Amino acid sequence: MLQFIARRVLLMIPTLFVISALVYFIIDLPPGDCVTSQIEELLARGDPDAHQRADELRELYGLNHPLWQRYLEWVGGIFRWDFGLSCQDTVPVADLISERMMLTIVMETSTIAFIWIVSFVIGVYAATHQYKWGDYVASFIGFIGLSIPNFLLALVLLYVGKVYFGLSIGGLMDPEYIDQPLSWGKVVSVLEHLIIPVIVIGMSGTAGMIRRLRANLLDELQKQYVVTGRAKGLPPMKLLVKYPLRHAINPFVADIGGLLPDVISGSVIVSVVLSLPTTGPMLLSALKTQDVNLAATFLLFVAVLTVIGMLISDLALAALDPRIRFGATSEK
Amino acid sequence: MTSADLRYPQQTLVADYLRATAGVVLCGAPLLLLDVNRWLAALLLAGFALFALFLVRTALRHRTRFVLGPDTLCADGPGGTLVEWNRLDRLKLSYFSTKRDRSDGWMQLSVGSTGGRLIKVDSSLEGFHDIVERAARAAEATGAPLSDATRANLRSMGIVVVGQEEL
Repeated sequence: MLQFIARRVLLMIPTLFVISALVYFIIDLPPGDCVTSQIEELLARGDPDAHQRADELRELYGLNHPLWQRYLEWVGGIFRWDFGLSCQDTVPVADLISERMMLTIVMETSTIAFIWIVSFVIGVYAATHQYKWGDYVASFIGFIGLSIPNFLLALVLLYVGKVYFGLSIGGLMDPEYIDQPLSWGKVVSVLEHLIIPVIVIGMSGTAGMIRRLRANLLDELQKQYVVTGRAKGLPPMKLLVKYPLRHAINPFVADIGGLLPDVISGSVIVSVVLSLPTTGPMLLSALKTQDVNLAATFLLFVAVLTVIGMLISDLALAALDPRIRFGATSEK
Repeated sequence: MTSADLRYPQQTLVADYLRATAGVVLCGAPLLLLDVNRWLAALLLAGFALFALFLVRTALRHRTRFVLGPDTLCADGPGGTLVEWNRLDRLKLSYFSTKRDRSDGWMQLSVGSTGGRLIKVDSSLEGFHDIVERAARAAEATGAPLSDATRANLRSMGIVVVGQEEL
C-alpha cells in the first residue's frame, strides 16, 4: 500500500503543475488584458490620462512582464498563500476568495454527502424492490433528475418559492449576516439556506448514482452465489450486505473523484441563478474580465480538489477491492 | 525441492529510489527554500514523510534477500523474519494499479505463520510466482482462511486452492 500511495501522490505533483500552467496560459490567450476594459471605460468618458493610467495599472498588476515571469511569480506566491493582485478591486486574491472558498467547500461537501446518502438508500431500495411501485418512483426521480438542467430547476424553485410560498430562496445566508464575523446565528442561517442549492446541484448527480447503483446491484443479485445463498436459507439482509452490496458499491466509490469536478462546474450557473456568494459567480466574472490571477487561483483549487478526490477514491477502491481485473497481467 | 535465493531486480529498485528521491526533493525543497504558509507546510511535510518512508522501505528491500525453501520462506536482511509453511495462518494476495482501468499494476503477497511477523513481497520480485504457489499449497494444507479477493487473484495466476473456492 505504501508503494501505491507514494506512486499516486508522486503523479499528483506534476499533474498539478501542468494544470496550473495550462490554466494560466489559456486564460491569458485572448487578446487584451484585464486593464483593457477599464481603459475603454475611461476613454469613453473622455479621460485624457487614460493611456497613462493604463500604463500605471499594467505596472501595478505586473502585466508589463512576460507571461512566463508572471506565471512563475504566481506559482512561487502560492506557497506563501499569496496569489497576487486581482484586477477587479485591486485587492489581494487571497483576501477576496477566503470566505467564498469556505462557503463553496461547505456547499460542495454538503452536496456530495446529499448525493451519496440519498442515492445509496434509493439505489439499494430500487434494486431490492425491482418492478415494484417504489422502484418505479425511484426510476422516475432518476429520469427527472437526469433530464432537467440544474439551472432550470433552480429557476423553477425560485418561482415556486416566491409565488406560492412567499419565500426568498436566493443567497446563502440572511442579509443581516453578510460580511459579519462567524457566529452561531450565521451558521444556522447558512444551513437553512443550503437546503435548496444542495438539492438543485445534487439532483443530476443523485439521479445518475441511483441508476448506476441499481444496475450494479441487480447484476450481482442475479448471480448464482446469491441464488445458492438464498436457497440455503441465509437471512436476506446478510445475503445482501455480505457480498452483492460490497461488489456493487465499487463503481460508487470510484465515482468520488469524478463527482467533485462535476458538482463544482455544475454549481457555477446555479450559483449565478440563485445569487449564491460562492466562487462560481466570481470565477465567471474573473474569466470575462481576464483577471488571470483570480481565475487561475479558482481553477487551481478545483484541480487540487479533483486530484485529492481521485486519490481518495483510488485509495478506497484499493482497500475495498484489491482484486486483479481478469485479462490484465499480474507480473511486471 | 532445493532452496532458491530471490532478490528484487536492480531495475525495480532503481525506479523506486528515483521515485522516492523525486518525492523527497519536490516536497522538501519548498520547505527549505521558500517561506511556506503553515497549512501548505503541513501538507508538504506529510508528503516529505511519506516519500522518506518509501525511501527507507526501498533501501530495506535492497538489503534483503528472500530464501524460498521447502519448509520456510526467510527474509534475510534488516528486520528479517521467517515464515514456516506448515504453520502458515495468514495469506493475502492483493492487486494494486495506479491506472483508472486498473491495468498494468502489481501484486503484493503477505504471508505469516503463527506467532511470527508478516513477510510482504511484490510481484516484481524474482520467483514471485513460485512463492505464491508454495504459499497457496501451504494454505491448502493448513486451512488458512483466504479472502475472496485473494482467491480471485490466485485464480488469475492459474492457482486454485482446493477447499477454499467460492460457492
